[in-house]
Amino acid sequence: MTAEHTAISGWYLVLRLAGPLQSWGGHSQFNRRDTQAEPTKSGIIGLLAAAQGRRRHDPIEDLLGLSFGVRTDQPGSMLRDYHTVSDLRGRPLLSATVNAKRTQKTTSPPKLTHVTRRFYLQDAVFVAAVNGPRELLESLRDALYGPAFPLFLGRRACPPTQPLLLSPSDDNPQTLWPGTSLLDVLRQVPWQAGEAHRRDRDGHRRTTLPVTIDDPSGDDIRADVPVTFDPHHRDFTSRRIRQEWVVLDDDTSSTREDDHDPFALLGGDR
Amino acid sequence: MTYLSRIRLNPLRTKTQSFLRNRQALHAVILGGLSRQPVTERVLWRLDTTNRHRLSLLVLTETRPSWEHLVEQAGWPSSDDPQAVIKAYQPLLNQVARGRQFAFRLHANPVSTTKKPTRPSPEQRDRLTASLRPRGVRVPHRTAAHQLRWLRDRLERWGFQPLTGDHGPTAYLVAQERLSFDKRDGEKSRRVTLESATFEGLIEVTDRQTAQRSLLDGVGPGKAYGMGLITLAPPHPHPAGA
Repeated sequence: MTAEHTAISGWYLVLRLAGPLQSWGGHSQFNRRDTQAEPTKSGIIGLLAAAQGRRRHDPIEDLLGLSFGVRTDQPGSMLRDYHTVSDLRGRPLLSATVNAKRTQKTTSPPKLTHVTRRFYLQDAVFVAAVNGPRELLESLRDALYGPAFPLFLGRRACPPTQPLLLSPSDDNPQTLWPGTSLLDVLRQVPWQAGEAHRRDRDGHRRTTLPVTIDDPSGDDIRADVPVTFDPHHRDFTSRRIRQEWVVLDDDTSSTREDDHDPFALLGGDR
Repeated sequence: MTYLSRIRLNPLRTKTQSFLRNRQALHAVILGGLSRQPVTERVLWRLDTTNRHRLSLLVLTETRPSWEHLVEQAGWPSSDDPQAVIKAYQPLLNQVARGRQFAFRLHANPVSTTKKPTRPSPEQRDRLTASLRPRGVRVPHRTAAHQLRWLRDRLERWGFQPLTGDHGPTAYLVAQERLSFDKRDGEKSRRVTLESATFEGLIEVTDRQTAQRSLLDGVGPGKAYGMGLITLAPPHPHPAGA
């Protein structure tokens, strides 16, 4: 197997991305707004930058150096939103053609509404691990505790549920996760799936979860690294990733029947 | 001697489904596992349905039972896995001592009796007026709060007390179900309806003698329909609901 991304520090910031709806756009443009099956790196960098209070045209070079891995704890399902757009003044929508003055013509015959397609993930839970210099991770963690702008999961209409930040110890919620690699950290974090999803998987003693991590020698490419979020020069580059599985020996995933075994106190005689 | 048995039931078999529909039929087939007929001993049992794909039936009997007929009708008769396990219950009774802590599970029929039911049926009215000091009529507890209060009020009477955690006593209501089936009584048949509640949690033994009695005799009504059997297990580090 290929070598993994070398860790910048032995510390990791771990986010739990869960909410009624999430939407992680990849190549979405115009009237069709897709969602990827898992959070994008640009979405997470945008969330971190928003927490720190950076505006869209502020530099984000320091955040681009972070390496990123995401684990799908509960895949959720796809929701297609029936969504129409219209001009609030009741005027016809604009067409693609321009007049001599280079302003857009209105549609003729007039078109008052049209349908745009928006896709969401509903009921999904992800765990994202971020690695970078320790001071940067600590400042990001503090920013996430008191975000400057509202945080959302890919689209403004998708607020996250708490807790957004996961910590390795219950006593000190402000600690980072120690680890040797993204994969190592994503193996440590307990399964975050909800009660109903766990119940559906009753009987599976071990949980195998898909993981996507940054890896310079990985065999797949994702074009979701922002160069800048400046609305006038929006641009993305790509990153190499590797897809893996992690196996969690999670005793909460075992069947409830095994939790209560009346024979456990009866000794060995038959 | 007392024995605890566990029989695995295959929910895909027609016979199992008829047992699930009618607790009367299940009770009859359980009594058929005892060789001393007619059965005069108290038999306690419980159907655990936490695993949808494999039900388990727990039975507490005074004499050593035999479950071939039940496995034949409703289990996996030619499977590699042992279908029925029978173990002596004495090792558990020996561990029941004041101060010992256990995880418990109880499927019960929480009821209270009243002499003034708000809407008595004709039979109940006849019974209440028949004698000078009539027995009250049973009314079921239907809400979670009432059922939990029923449990907490009675645990002490049964020789236990719930352990107190960070958020109050650690006894939980994990399932509620209304059972309804026809009971044939000679030629006639009448409808039996029972409210059942499943409780789990952590308890401590407060009185050895009383606790042993409750384990062996069962608690509350509906014992013929799989209720009242308290089972104890090692206290789990993560109790249900925590």
